[in-house]
Amino acid sequence: MNRLVLAAVWLIPSLASAEGQWALEQSTLSYHISHPLHQVDGVSHAARGKGSCHAGQCDFLIAAPVKSFDSGDSNRDLHMLQVARGAQFPLVTVRVRLPEDAASSPTIYADLEIEFAGQTAHYKQVAFQHTTQGNTTKISGTIPATLTDFKIDPPSLLAIPVKNEMPVRVEMTWRPM
Amino acid sequence: MELYTNGRTRIAIFATGIFALWAWGAAPLRAQAAGAVLSGTITASGTTVANAKVTAKNNATGQTAEAQTDNAGLYTISNLPPGEYTISATAEGFNEQTANVTIAASPQKLDVSLAAAGAPSLKDLGFSPDQTQGSAQDQARLDKRSHMLKIHQRLGLITAAPLLATVLTANGAAGRKGTASGRDLHATLGSITAGMYFTTAYFSVFAPKVPGTTTRGPIRLHRFLAWIHGPGMILTPALGALAFEQRSKGERIHGIASAHGAVAATTAVAYGLAILSVSVKF
Repeated sequence: MNRLVLAAVWLIPSLASAEGQWALEQSTLSYHISHPLHQVDGVSHAARGKGSCHAGQCDFLIAAPVKSFDSGDSNRDLHMLQVARGAQFPLVTVRVRLPEDAASSPTIYADLEIEFAGQTAHYKQVAFQHTTQGNTTKISGTIPATLTDFKIDPPSLLAIPVKNEMPVRVEMTWRPM
Repeated sequence: MELYTNGRTRIAIFATGIFALWAWGAAPLRAQAAGAVLSGTITASGTTVANAKVTAKNNATGQTAEAQTDNAGLYTISNLPPGEYTISATAEGFNEQTANVTIAASPQKLDVSLAAAGAPSLKDLGFSPDQTQGSAQDQARLDKRSHMLKIHQRLGLITAAPLLATVLTANGAAGRKGTASGRDLHATLGSITAGMYFTTAYFSVFAPKVPGTTTRGPIRLHRFLAWIHGPGMILTPALGALAFEQRSKGERIHGIASAHGAVAATTAVAYGLAILSVSVKF
């Protein structure tokens, strides 16, 4: 499917320091879809992201082209692009706002705002693990997205629709700018 | 009672009637000319934004229409002629957010989410306009493609039934126990199969192509197998007709017609594999 999407989050812990900016260095976003005959994982490494901290708050934006998700099957990817209205809404974006000291523990709980397929969905208190290595911060977690969150009709194979759940695994590496 | 006999009165009644008919008939036309209605909610971080300014700009004419959100964050813009629009929303303390929509029917809904001022925007991420702006035409092409391929998939599965039945009745047509009625049944089922097969193929062959797509995955095997069962579906009925004629004359099946069974079996196997290739993960 589409494909789909999504996204991410960020975070920066020890950056609790100054007002600064962060850039997404590397990312792997992967959606998972289940069907009785198939388990599909679509992966994108094309996300771009930026974080901006000001007055104790950090705003992060991550975006990826919907068509960049690759499941290894071009026919399925085109179908996912269609059901996700990816030609009309070519980007999936994730916005996160966190206090600068949010990363004081290994697990960050973030409220996400995701725009995808022309719809906006909000996810509260999604857990992300983060580790800091040198100058970079790695963030990983899973967004519990569903097809109905974005009003996507479940694609079907042999007249059997895929499951509504579409968890999105997020792995990102951020560095200060 | 000169009311209806007076000339001026008759003219007045006639004119009033004409006007009423014109007004009644013109009402729907005026409604159409009034254009579509675009409405939606402006939010930020999940909460509605009041007094946000929403602007709809017609990409073709450059004409703009504006609205402001109420206390519930709702906006409505009326009288929008059909076309491609750039919708922008902005509010104090937030970055401007834009979206592209195609106005085609009334009413249409578009919700916009704003980001706090100073927060990164898509421009900051370096996406080009081509990457951020959607295309209604491209989406329509994708929709048509998926629609046709869904029909292709369903018809393909349905076609497997008469195909299987045709194979199962082969023995009654040409085997030792072959009979005239068995041949008729086999030929009828084969004709139905061929008709459904080519109808199925039509929805795949003529589905819109998406430029720049590199074929990957099981669909490659599916397409390769089509090069076997496609010609097979042409040859099998042709050879079958020859065999039918020979058997009807009381002759043994001979010559090229004797390949009918082998070609049919190859075709049926390739067809079955083509279904499996996109149904089951190997």
